[in-house]
Amino acid sequence: MIRRRHRLPWVSYLLVVSGAVLMVVPFLDMVMTSFKGPGEAGRLPYRFLPRGFGFGFGNYRAALDQLDLPVLFRNSVTATALITGSVLLTSSLAGYALAKLRFRGRDLIFRLVLTTMMFPPFLFFIPHFLILVHWPLAGGNDLLGRGGAGLTVSIVALTMPFLVNGFGIFLMRQFMISVPDEILEAARLDGAGEFTLWWRVVLPQTKPVLVTLALLTFVDAWNEYIWALLISTADPGVMTLPVGIQLLQDHVDPTRTMPVVMAALVLSVLPVLVLFLLLQKHYIRGVVLSGLK
Amino acid sequence: MVNTLAPERAEHPASRARPAGPGLAARARRRQTVVAYLFLAPTLLFFAVFLVLPLGFALLLSMSRWAGFDLGDIRPVGLDNFTGLFARGSTFLTPILANTVLFALGTVAVALAGSVLVATCIDRLRFQGLWRTLYFLPMVTTVVAVGNVWKYMYEPGGLVDGVLNALGLASVAFLQDPHTALPAVVVVQAWASAGSAILVLTAGLKSIPRSYYEAAELDGAGAVTVFRKITLPLLRPSLLFVCITQFLTGLQSFALITVMTKGGPGDATAVAALEMYRQAFSYGDWGTASAAAFVLFVVVLVITLVQLWVLRRKGEDA
Repeated sequence: MIRRRHRLPWVSYLLVVSGAVLMVVPFLDMVMTSFKGPGEAGRLPYRFLPRGFGFGFGNYRAALDQLDLPVLFRNSVTATALITGSVLLTSSLAGYALAKLRFRGRDLIFRLVLTTMMFPPFLFFIPHFLILVHWPLAGGNDLLGRGGAGLTVSIVALTMPFLVNGFGIFLMRQFMISVPDEILEAARLDGAGEFTLWWRVVLPQTKPVLVTLALLTFVDAWNEYIWALLISTADPGVMTLPVGIQLLQDHVDPTRTMPVVMAALVLSVLPVLVLFLLLQKHYIRGVVLSGLK
Repeated sequence: MVNTLAPERAEHPASRARPAGPGLAARARRRQTVVAYLFLAPTLLFFAVFLVLPLGFALLLSMSRWAGFDLGDIRPVGLDNFTGLFARGSTFLTPILANTVLFALGTVAVALAGSVLVATCIDRLRFQGLWRTLYFLPMVTTVVAVGNVWKYMYEPGGLVDGVLNALGLASVAFLQDPHTALPAVVVVQAWASAGSAILVLTAGLKSIPRSYYEAAELDGAGAVTVFRKITLPLLRPSLLFVCITQFLTGLQSFALITVMTKGGPGDATAVAALEMYRQAFSYGDWGTASAAAFVLFVVVLVITLVQLWVLRRKGEDA
């Protein structure tokens, strides 16, 4: 075993390290560019390091000025929190029912949950948008969903299609099944209701999976772009970080503002990166468990 | 995890042993049913509104002409939208659908080759967690960051250009040249998705019994032989899993292309999901957009089923 480990180690090291450099260099280039002065980015010949780090302050300030970052951050945080909270709640409730309760229709509902994971998201973009536009009694709509902009002009619109997640339900069910039935039966004989069982017995036992699901959902929600772009065109007030930054990048002269865009990107990527590095053990285990993404 | 997929039908042992009469058991059962549907209510409601209703709606739209304003203006046109997609002069089949398949195929090939190599090498090194974390970084980054950073790196005066010049090569306008734009985007998608492939392959590598390697070593097999005769065959289930999931993602994704090229230059990087998005939200042709979505869905389904069929034929169970 030890001999296999040391076989060809330098070839392996060379490969893995150069690959890792390839992975990290774009991130470093992003940080370095965010410190470059006007006209310095995009100038020939290419230079990796900025002339000095003094311009960084100006770029980050410009990013804050031009982007209304507080609002973008607020929208991103609100949407991400709503989605993550809702997915955790609905997944653990549904997972408990499917794993530990006996009732007619359980197999059918479980199959339905599995089926939802097979549909590609792009199939739903158009109908979801239309459903939100024609949501009854919201945003100036009448009972039949006519007359106004519906839910598309509310921050809820950012979250609606993501509030329940078939994969989350599947994940929770798989892990709740391993909670011993004897504990639940004993608690039931003591007069505990199902809600108490779910909250006091099952949830504490499945905490690691909850953390995994929370992380997976958080990262996806924070980074979501296409749906947020669509909703932001209907109402710029609910724009999220990725959409706002892309808008800035699309509308301005790249040689001048590239450092500002990069500064904004650094600011938007930072929270997730820190969270990921802090919790990466859970995250990576979660991805291996789920085998998805 | 696989064998717990089927819903458990066995009765709870405790409930069988309970000495209570049938009336009590029935009441307990009824109560469980009520609670279960209460717990499932938000989920079922959501699926009714955001899954069943949209599917019906999309199907209806795909056979209608509609500019996207008043729901009363939806005109049924039968299969016209579908025939329009495949009509002579339509860009849907070529280059768009062809681009979609090339994009997915290229991404899978590059990401798979790279991740197999890296995953097998990482398995022999120290600090495995550190390496895996580094390769996973792009996965937790928004596509807007990935797309823009790479776009900038491809620009004249960017990093890729700088490296080419430092090696004495001429500059290439990767994203502006119709011949290089698609490969350039493929590289970025592969770069971004290699991390998750490496994770899955690592899990697969860890499940190969070490005694196989020891036996091979005793027989004096070289590293390449060991890789070809032991690692690769035993890794096949994980490989196929990565292949299928990455193919699915590749066929559907258009966020990166939206950020980097918007489908250009010309239609050089236009893919089906992007075309669907453009038809609906830029050109206001919701019928064609919905029809394109269904065609792409069928393509995705067929390619996935073919891969599963190949997988079955090779006698693997995944």
